[in-house]
Amino acid sequence: MTDAWAFGYGTNGFADHTLDDALDVIAGSGYGAVALTLGHPHLDPFATDWRERAERLATDLDRRGLRVVVETGARYLLDPWRKHRPTLVDRDAEPRLAFLRRAIEIAAILRAECVSLWSGVLPDDVSPAEGWDLLVARLTALVPLAQEHGVTLSVEPEPGMLVETVADALRLRTTLGDPAAVGITVDLGHCVAVEPAGVVGALRQAGSLLRNVQVDDMLPGVHEHLELGAGALDLGAAIETLRELGYAGVAAVELPRHSHDAPRLARTSLAAWDAAARAARHPWTARAVAAVTENPDRAARLFAEAGRAVGRSPLDPADPQGYGGTVDDDARAAVVVALHDAGADASIVRALYDHGDDAERRGVLRGLGRIERAAGCGEEWRAVGLELTVDALRTNDPRLVAAGMGEFAATHLDDHAWRHGVLKLVFMGVPLAVVSGLDRRRDAELAAMASRYADERRAAGRSIPDDLRLIDALYQER
Amino acid sequence: MRIFDPHIHMTSRTTDDYEAMYESGVRALVEPAFWLGQPRTNVGSYLDYFDALIGWERFRAAQFGIRHHCTIALNPKEANDPRCREVMAHLPRYLAKDGVVAVGETGYDSMTPEEDEVLRQHLALAIEFELPALVHTPHRDKVTGTRRTLDVVAESGLGMERVLVDHLNETCVDMVADAGAWMGFSIYPDTKMDEVRVVAIMQRIGLDRVIVNSAADWGRSDPLKTAKTGLAMLEAGFTEDDVDRVLWRNPVEFYGQSGRLELDPVPGFAPAQQGPDLFEGNSVLRGMASRRDA
Repeated sequence: MTDAWAFGYGTNGFADHTLDDALDVIAGSGYGAVALTLGHPHLDPFATDWRERAERLATDLDRRGLRVVVETGARYLLDPWRKHRPTLVDRDAEPRLAFLRRAIEIAAILRAECVSLWSGVLPDDVSPAEGWDLLVARLTALVPLAQEHGVTLSVEPEPGMLVETVADALRLRTTLGDPAAVGITVDLGHCVAVEPAGVVGALRQAGSLLRNVQVDDMLPGVHEHLELGAGALDLGAAIETLRELGYAGVAAVELPRHSHDAPRLARTSLAAWDAAARAARHPWTARAVAAVTENPDRAARLFAEAGRAVGRSPLDPADPQGYGGTVDDDARAAVVVALHDAGADASIVRALYDHGDDAERRGVLRGLGRIERAAGCGEEWRAVGLELTVDALRTNDPRLVAAGMGEFAATHLDDHAWRHGVLKLVFMGVPLAVVSGLDRRRDAELAAMASRYADERRAAGRSIPDDLRLIDALYQER
Repeated sequence: MRIFDPHIHMTSRTTDDYEAMYESGVRALVEPAFWLGQPRTNVGSYLDYFDALIGWERFRAAQFGIRHHCTIALNPKEANDPRCREVMAHLPRYLAKDGVVAVGETGYDSMTPEEDEVLRQHLALAIEFELPALVHTPHRDKVTGTRRTLDVVAESGLGMERVLVDHLNETCVDMVADAGAWMGFSIYPDTKMDEVRVVAIMQRIGLDRVIVNSAADWGRSDPLKTAKTGLAMLEAGFTEDDVDRVLWRNPVEFYGQSGRLELDPVPGFAPAQQGPDLFEGNSVLRGMASRRDA
C-alpha cells in the first residue's frame, strides 16, 4: 500500500558530514524527508547569516523533494560544559528559550512540519512540581509565537526527563489548554524502553495529535538508540499502527551515535523499514482477521468489502495485471488463513468462493496457498480446496487460473490436472513465475505437452512463448 | 470524448462491440441485470447470470480497456413469475460486491401488484446497502408507469437524488425533472428515443441530471449511440464541456453515490480524455464508420 507518511533520516546521525553532503547521502539513498537538528556541525541557529542560510536550505530541500522537521536536541549548543542544558525545567532557561524562538523562525522559513522539543532532566535543585510549573509557563509563552509563525511545536517524551511518556505529554498539552499548535513526537525506540503500553499503545495514545515520529530500535529499560533489528522493537506492529492512525507526517531515523557509519545505516534502515512496511498488514486486514477469528460468519461481508478497503493494485509494480497477486488478494488471503487457524468449517470457505466475484475467488485460492506454505490444510479443507482449485482451473480468467496454481495446487493437485494448469497459463500468456513448485513437479509428460504445443504454434506460424521453452529446458537440465 | 455508458447489456454483445466502444471513447460502463430475452425458469439461472456480471464480464471488459460495473435486481417482467421471485433472497449478498453500483433495473413492466411489491423491496434494499437505484419505466403506458414509479420512490424514503428513472421520452420527462430524480434516455435505432429528439429535450430542459445511454442488448440496438449523441450535441451547438458533462460527469456523479466506481485506466490502456482531440482526430467517426447508422 502507498503510505501517506514520508520516511526520513536525522542529520544528527550525520555529524561527520557537512549538511550538504548529508543531504546528498540522505536523498541519494532514497529518503523523502530529513529531520534537521539545529546546531553543530550543521545549521547554526545563532550565526549572523542564519536567515540567509535557512532560506538557501529551504530552496535546496524543495529542489531535492525532501520534507523536513526541525529537531532541537543538539547536545552542547547552549552550554559547552553541560549536555542539553539549560532545559525548560532549569531555573534559568533563557538560552533555551532564545534557541526555541529561533527554531520556530527557522521552521517557518523551511516550511518544516514541526519543531520537536523535549522537557529536560530535572536538576537537583528543582522539585517535580516546580519543574512542571516552569515547563508549563515557558511553553505557554512559546505557543503564541509558534501560532504566529504557523509552526507546530511537537513535544517529545524522553526517557529520564520530566515528560517521559506519551501520557505525560498529553497531560502537559491539556494543562496548556490543548492548543492546536502543540502536537506529540513519538520515538519508536523509546516506547520499547519506557512506554507502559509499548509502541502500539503509545502511538494510539498520541493518536491524531501525532506530529513527528523518530525511528530507531531499543531494548527494554535501556535508553540507547540502536539500528533497526538490533533491539526489541516490533517494527511491523508500529507501521500497522501508523497506518491505522492515518499518520501523514515525517518518520525519520534517529541514530545520533552512529555518525561514523551513517551511509551504510541510511541504506540498511531504509531497507528494513521498506521490508517491514511491505510485510505489515493494512489496518482493515488486521481488523478483519480479528473479526473472523471471533466469528467466522462475518467473513462473507468482509470478503466483499476488501477491495474497497485496501485497494486493488498489484503487489509487484512490474506485474501490472496482478498475476502474482494484488493487495486485496493479500488481504483476503489473510482472512482465509485466520478462518483456517480459528478452526472454521470448510463450508465457509466454499461459500466464500461460490458466492464470490472474481477477486474474492482469487482471495480464497491465495489463502489456501498460504495455509499450505505454513502448517498445511486439514482433511476437510483439503477436500474443499481441491474442488475449488479444479473449478478455478476450468475458468478462462487468467488471474483466477494463476491464483489456482499456487502452493495448494502444487501440493495436492493430481499430475494430469496440474500439468494442464501449467499449460493453460502458457496458453493465456501468464508468466510461469506464478506457478508454485514448478521445479519439483515438472516431468517428462509436461515437457512433452510443451513440445507438442510448440509444434502447434510453429505449424500456425506463431512465435513460441519463452515460458514454453522454460518447461522443456528445465526438464532437460535435470 | 470520454464516455461512461450508464446502461448497456454487454453480456449480449460481442468483442467487436467492446473494441468499437473503446475506440469511440467509452472507458467505463454499467451493465444492469435484466432478462435474457426469453423467460428464466429457475433461480439458478439468475445466480449464474449475476456471477457472470460480477466476474466474467468485468474481466472481458477490462481486456478491452473498459471498466465494467453492474446493477443487480430481479427485472420487472420476471417479478411476475413465482419461480424467479425467490431470487430476492439472494440479492443482499450481491449488493455487497465491489462492482455493484446500484440496485436495478427495477420498476414496472405491466404494473401488477407483484411488480409493486418487488419495486418496494428493491428500494428498501437500496437504502439498506446505501446504493442508488436504477428504475426502468414501462414500454406500454409509460406516463402512468412513470407517475406510479415516482410515487413509490417518494413513499420508500430513498432520496430522489439517488434514483435514475430510465427510458424517458417527451411525455414523461418533466414529471421526473420536477420530482428531482435523474433522467435517463436510452438512444435506440428505432424505438425508445433518438439522438435528435434527446438533443431537443436538452435544449429545452438543460443538462442537470440528464443521462444518456445506449441500453444496447440482444435486440436491434447500437452500443455507439452514446458517442453519436455527443456528436449530435456538438452539431446542435453544445460545447465539448457540455458533452463531457452528459456523457461522463453526470453518470459518474450518479453512480459515484455508491462509493464503488473504479475509473482509473485499465493497465496498458490510455486514460479517458475530455476534450476535442479525439473528436477532431476523428476517432469517434472512424469507430462508427463500420457500423450501420440509424
